[in-house]
Amino acid sequence: MSSQHPLWQNLFKHKEDRTSEVTEMWMDTPLFDKITRRECRDLVKTMHPRHYKKGEMVFNSGDIGASIVLIRRGAIEIKAAEKLLAELQVGDFFGEVALIIDEPRTADAIACEDSELIFFLRSDLEEWIKRSPRSGAQFMLNIATVLAARLRHTNILLSMQNS
Amino acid sequence: MLQTIIHHPLSRTLFVFSMICSAIILLAVLLAPLLIPIIISFTLYALLEPMSETFERHGLSRNAASLSVLLILVAIGALCVSLLLPHLSLQLSTLQSQLPVVWQSITTMGNDISQHIATSLSLDIQSSGLTQHFFTQVDEWGKAALIEGSNMLISLSVLLVLVPIFTFFLIRDFRTFRNNLLDKLPNSSFEMGWLIYYRVAHQLQEYIRGIMIQSAIMCVITTIGFYILGFDSPFLLGIVAGVLNLIPYVGPLLAMVLPVLLALGHVPVEFWLVGAAISVILIAQLIDNVIVIPAVIANAVNLHPLIVIVGIIIFGNLFGFIGMVVAIPVISTMNIIYCGLYQGIKARYNLKQKAAIDI
Repeated sequence: MSSQHPLWQNLFKHKEDRTSEVTEMWMDTPLFDKITRRECRDLVKTMHPRHYKKGEMVFNSGDIGASIVLIRRGAIEIKAAEKLLAELQVGDFFGEVALIIDEPRTADAIACEDSELIFFLRSDLEEWIKRSPRSGAQFMLNIATVLAARLRHTNILLSMQNS
Repeated sequence: MLQTIIHHPLSRTLFVFSMICSAIILLAVLLAPLLIPIIISFTLYALLEPMSETFERHGLSRNAASLSVLLILVAIGALCVSLLLPHLSLQLSTLQSQLPVVWQSITTMGNDISQHIATSLSLDIQSSGLTQHFFTQVDEWGKAALIEGSNMLISLSVLLVLVPIFTFFLIRDFRTFRNNLLDKLPNSSFEMGWLIYYRVAHQLQEYIRGIMIQSAIMCVITTIGFYILGFDSPFLLGIVAGVLNLIPYVGPLLAMVLPVLLALGHVPVEFWLVGAAISVILIAQLIDNVIVIPAVIANAVNLHPLIVIVGIIIFGNLFGFIGMVVAIPVISTMNIIYCGLYQGIKARYNLKQKAAIDI
């Protein structure tokens, strides 16, 4: 059957649209600085979209963490000990610590509206690093920068609280 | 009390684990006639998938990459058969012609030993009767092995057709099939499911690649050793040693049997040759343990040696040679699935306990 058939054309178009849209969203984050769009796009094809209902837990603190999550649709609340830490919107990402260490999640993530999330698994990252070590190293450097910025931000908050 | 036991992470893990095991066993029973081609195809998939990925990275489509890998596989297979088969069949016929002499020599030696014991201890041992009984038994085993061998030839031709087809479809479609299957997991178990899958896949891939490289190295070392010792079928003995090396711990011991028997078959018996044949296997094992295992399959399977040996014996008893070969990957997979489930279920349980305390 030819891909000119409207049904097939639409099917492919839908998938292409999603890949392109998610690629652009990742490229807008600091994680993909100095990484080519083509490589990001190849990586996006290995990522896993999941749908969450409003109020559904994405993960609990203490759960096994294995991926970083990008919000494609909806919004997510990050809570620790019932205290709201952040409210994340479309294009934001969370859970990046799970890409680095095999430790349980340290906060809860709850969908505060119907959401579509894109999961980038640590195992896919490891395979990508094996395939493209240079880009993989750049990605790890970018994650380190993000984590360092968050640590610095937390330190400032703590010192402000103490003072 | 009953509620506590039911909700305890250990009992929940055991329940989920036994459900998964039941599903796997049911699948294995349903696929029983195709199990061997499926196992071989998965082994080839684990070995060849990186090649297919490389082709894809260089711009080939999934179909073209899978087809290229299949063509390379068939070409290598054809090359091996055309180059090695004549040598192998020649060495096999040499071995066949040697066997009657070997049996005769061992019979004579057995008689001599029995005679010697009978004379020194003044006992009346029916030595000829004992050896006769032993060789009647061996003869029966031999006939059974020949019938088994002819059945194997039929199975081999089926394998030659099925394995390339299965391997092609695995390389082309396995990732899509796996993604579709794992994406069916509920949101709450999605990450845990992928994590367990990747741990299993990574460990199996490492193990299969490692054991194949290890067997090839064993084959080369023993072939060279037996050639230096002047055995008539060094290549055949090397291949037997390499294939038996697929069975950890027990394989090297089995690999000694044929060369030792052949060395005993020399007239007059040359005991230094028996020692040298054993030494070849031991030296190959030493090189394997000191150089190959640390470099190739260290940490690929993290199991206690006692579990490995008991597992091989049980699987060998249940499923024969194939059972002995697959025992370690199967036990290791079960171990990862159980530990992953327990880790995930325990985390949830602790969370619920904490929430209950907070309330």
